[in-house]
Amino acid sequence: MKNGEYWNPVLETMPREKLLQQQLKKFKEIFTWAYENSKFYHKLYSDAGIEPGDIKKFDDIKKVPKIEKSMMRSVQGPGKQNFPYGDILSVPLEQVTDYRQTSGTTGQPVYQADTWQDWEFSTEAYCYAMWAQGYRPKDRVFVPFGYNIFIAFWAYHYAGEKLGCEVIPGGVLNTEARILKMQELKATAMGATPTYVLGMAETARGMGIDPIKDLYIRKITVAGEPGGSIPATRKRMEDAWGAKVYDQVGSTEIGHWGWECRQQAGLHVNEGLFLVEIEDVNTGETIEEPGRKGKMVVTTFNRMAQPCIRFDVKDIIQWNARQCECGRTYRLLDGGLMGRADDITKVKGVLLSPMAIEEVVRDIPQLGNEYQVVVTKKGDIDDITLKVELLPEYQKDQAAIKAKLTDQLRLTTNLGYNIEFHPYESLPRSQAKSRRFQDQRPHH
Amino acid sequence: MTQEYNVKGMVVKIKALRKNAEALKEISGGIPAVDKNADRILANVRMLEIDISDAAEILGK
Repeated sequence: MKNGEYWNPVLETMPREKLLQQQLKKFKEIFTWAYENSKFYHKLYSDAGIEPGDIKKFDDIKKVPKIEKSMMRSVQGPGKQNFPYGDILSVPLEQVTDYRQTSGTTGQPVYQADTWQDWEFSTEAYCYAMWAQGYRPKDRVFVPFGYNIFIAFWAYHYAGEKLGCEVIPGGVLNTEARILKMQELKATAMGATPTYVLGMAETARGMGIDPIKDLYIRKITVAGEPGGSIPATRKRMEDAWGAKVYDQVGSTEIGHWGWECRQQAGLHVNEGLFLVEIEDVNTGETIEEPGRKGKMVVTTFNRMAQPCIRFDVKDIIQWNARQCECGRTYRLLDGGLMGRADDITKVKGVLLSPMAIEEVVRDIPQLGNEYQVVVTKKGDIDDITLKVELLPEYQKDQAAIKAKLTDQLRLTTNLGYNIEFHPYESLPRSQAKSRRFQDQRPHH
Repeated sequence: MTQEYNVKGMVVKIKALRKNAEALKEISGGIPAVDKNADRILANVRMLEIDISDAAEILGK
């Protein structure tokens, strides 16, 4: 692999044993910083009887208490110190330059403080991703997203600038206007959610514009939803745009910790800047072996205003056994984010991951891109309804498609479904994170 | 691969950048245009330290 493939070969090709030493050193630094500068972390660690001097070897990291989103929420908001960030803040309030918040889809939002240096760090982390995906200064990058209080695509914009690309903010333009602007300016790359990437292609075709022939997009970075690592969804996006699609993962509290390189062999964890641990969902045991699913616990090494240390994200991931041909020594994840620990739910006594349903739906070409899953209870029995869109030209084949869908779902998820066909383009579409799974059972 | 790069030399220059930016702030007389631009430079210097200098310690460079 040529040296020019790496944003920073010093970190990205560091020998594994050195990388682990680096991670331990970095963990100690951020742990010490938080212990000394954040009342929230100081109390958490003091109550657990652990202090910086106790972290001597890699295994000692496991003794450090994990944090959860609910713990951050509990110290933030009105009436709390350092409004709105609370005692988790580790710098004087006047050093904060950037406000972001989580979407709040699982409760009160978490307020995220960044100093300018922290924001440079978020941008830097995204630079690793975009360079690995082949973004170069000659690229004209379009961002078809309404920037706002959420983190989404801000760092993509700033990192694009830092790489030397020409960045076009698609902001408040509507989808049609964005498509026309991309065509006019011959944009070569864009970043969006998988749902929106698919939706834009549909809109473009409706305008008489073929994304492959009439637009110039050849690289797409997707984030915010797991679709980039779902083979059937990725294929739909790549086929619709004639472009390479790369997955990228991150969050408001953590930063941008993982991405695919041009090999598209799985998500690289940026182990120079983050520590990702995988734990067994039930026992908490650390999982090192590939192919065994667990929940992610992540530490950000260099975000100082609001440190993120051993954050139990509840995303389900698994290690990949493969060494990527790109030459990076960073480990790969297999299958990207495979769902959330709190999304994977028991239906009719069977564990069900919504992503498994997406893989089946998107693998049937006669179906549209959108779907919804609704779980209800009829008496004592769970009931699942899958709503899909049938492409207009296949109406006559509905019975055969229904039979195929039922078989594939049974095979993949071991469950039976009520299949509902809805008119094409009638199910809700979203530019941001889509919530396609609705559990309407009592106590869910 | 890191042996192909002059990591040691880069570490020296990064240290000099930090020293110069901090020295600039010391003599700024509180001019906001100087202080705030120096702060931005220092934030980027920190990224160079994260990318190169911190790793150099582990690599023994």
